[in-house]
Amino acid sequence: MSAANVENDASAGDVLLEAENLKIHYPIHGGVFLKRIGEVKAVDGVSFTINAGETLGLVGESGCGKTTVGKGIMRLIEATDGHIWFTRRTGERVDLVPLGRKAMRPIRSEIQMIYQDPYSSLNPRWSVGDIVAEPLTVHFPDMKRKERDEKVAWLLEKVGLTGEQAHRYPHEFSGGQRQRVGIARALSTNPRLVISDEPVSALDVSIQAQVVNLMQELQEEFGLTYLFIAHDLSIVEHISHRIAVMYLGNMVEIGPARDLYDNPVHPYTRALLSAVPLPDPSLKRPDRIVLQGEPPSPLAKPSGCPFRTRCPLAEAACAEEIPVLTEVAPGHHVACPVVLR
Amino acid sequence: MSDVSETGAAQAGGTDRKKLLEVKNLRTYFDVEGKTAKAVDGVSFHVFANEVFGIVGESGSGKSVTSLSIMRLIPDPPGRIEGGEIWFNGTNLLDMSYAEMRKIRGNEISMIFQEPMTALNPVFTIGFQLKEAIRHHRKGLTKAEVTDRAEEMLTLVGIPDARRRLKNYPHEFSGGMRQRAMIAMALALEPRLLIADEPTTALDVTIQAQILELMLSVREKTGDASILLITHDLAVVAETCDRVAVMYGGKVQEISDVKRLFAEPLHPYTQGLLTSLPRPDKERRKRLQTIPGIVPSIMNMPPGCKFAERCPLRESRCDTIEPELVEVRPDRFARCHLVEPEGVADAQEAQA
Repeated sequence: MSAANVENDASAGDVLLEAENLKIHYPIHGGVFLKRIGEVKAVDGVSFTINAGETLGLVGESGCGKTTVGKGIMRLIEATDGHIWFTRRTGERVDLVPLGRKAMRPIRSEIQMIYQDPYSSLNPRWSVGDIVAEPLTVHFPDMKRKERDEKVAWLLEKVGLTGEQAHRYPHEFSGGQRQRVGIARALSTNPRLVISDEPVSALDVSIQAQVVNLMQELQEEFGLTYLFIAHDLSIVEHISHRIAVMYLGNMVEIGPARDLYDNPVHPYTRALLSAVPLPDPSLKRPDRIVLQGEPPSPLAKPSGCPFRTRCPLAEAACAEEIPVLTEVAPGHHVACPVVLR
Repeated sequence: MSDVSETGAAQAGGTDRKKLLEVKNLRTYFDVEGKTAKAVDGVSFHVFANEVFGIVGESGSGKSVTSLSIMRLIPDPPGRIEGGEIWFNGTNLLDMSYAEMRKIRGNEISMIFQEPMTALNPVFTIGFQLKEAIRHHRKGLTKAEVTDRAEEMLTLVGIPDARRRLKNYPHEFSGGMRQRAMIAMALALEPRLLIADEPTTALDVTIQAQILELMLSVREKTGDASILLITHDLAVVAETCDRVAVMYGGKVQEISDVKRLFAEPLHPYTQGLLTSLPRPDKERRKRLQTIPGIVPSIMNMPPGCKFAERCPLRESRCDTIEPELVEVRPDRFARCHLVEPEGVADAQEAQA
């Protein structure tokens, strides 16, 4: 192929990305002069790693900060504090947080994003070919037109469309096909890491499975690494190697998918998994733990453990400090001192 | 769930349970750009008293248009109810005048919608809107009685500190609480039938569990009310419904009690849907089975079976002849040439 098509040298197990005590706070402005009157701690000291070639599922309910983590890695939102170490294709390990726009640009070709809404994430005035080619024209301006067209056709075929469809416009495609276009666009620069934020939640049930399978096939073919952000726990369980659970800006549990689903430890993870409806009346579920109340507003985040206001195990000491992740089994970390005692 | 055994008993005893709602050959069309979109095209099903009946389908299947047709809330134009009957409690809703229908809505049939923020009026307090519903339903209550009743309803749906909460505006409620308030409003009228159109789709999973449990518990508290639950989520159906109709392409493709639907789906579309879901007892990361292709456009439906294009069992007759919805097992209906009826004749003989 081309210079753009450097083989991914990802051998599974190497750390591709490491977030270290990542904090992303949004300022709140108010009053007559719109002074800064507070902040929302959307991501409040989160640490995790993503290994090359794996899928890390990131789950949590609305407002837990999972989307902000994804945007923070893409530097679409500035981090307040912490580090995001990313291993480049060259082997160089860089911290993305302090990088300026210009220094970030070549790295963006190695980290791409798939968006939730296949209707608003594609420009309706551009042909599908132009949409998929855009990252190529940005990141590889020297690429010849013919070569670019060939690459676009090849990408469209890889995602289950045809090269001839490059001349069509988004409105001519169904939701599932548009999501395929979004995937082709994300893959055009041969990224090492693909951040997908709710990639199938806008799709019909019969189409979801098609897109999930496609993502897995592409992962195997190109050695891709996914950060798979979603609220649908059954899809995340299906696609992920490891899963991280967030609650109100903090990570409460992270571990291998099987381990985490079979033996959830944190009280929030247990409640969350028990709330998932099962697609068969004959399946046995763990006893449902119905949580009282609703997640507090991130504006008024509780002190200490963020989950303590709804936690059945909460004690007075939980209000004092934010629990740290502690290893309970190989690779399985839990942030709850009460349950570990 | 709790009623599955009861439904199981009903299959042997025939269909002598009281039908609260019976939809017969409902057709709701929309005129769009000079063409006719047959959103609902010959839908028939019935809901028993004290039953949770689900309608499950993907976007464009006609499930929401069916529920709006029952409420006679189809915007006309461009929509029109072309034909059919909707029998509710002995009367055909389609014969009713606008004024008569207004009395049915709310009093007899209430509806809760997917997005509670758009269904609540943002410039009035929750209490005002709830009390309005109560006053409308029960004329002659004093002001204090109305307020008490409103507080009682909010408490029933699990909103703490209800008295104070009545003074709140919808924006001061979270998504889950708004949906609770909507349910309180719907139930304040003590309807015989509650239509819930994707009531938990906009909510988080822990809140979804709360709301579904609330809906089921309220049914127990209010006696013989039935729930018609419209959803795209088969897992929600599995957990809450007694019987279910699967819709595709504006038609009911299969009707069954929930237990047997999941254990032995008859229609190829239902089979495809069930196998495409990730399940905790399936091997992780193994490829999911998929239904190839896409949902046909409502403007351009195939003449034969609506699912034929995507069906693994398709035969030539499927493209030209539309199958009928027939009882292929006792109390189980499917619209497919390839599902052989069995057992029905025996059951009828046994009855005679």
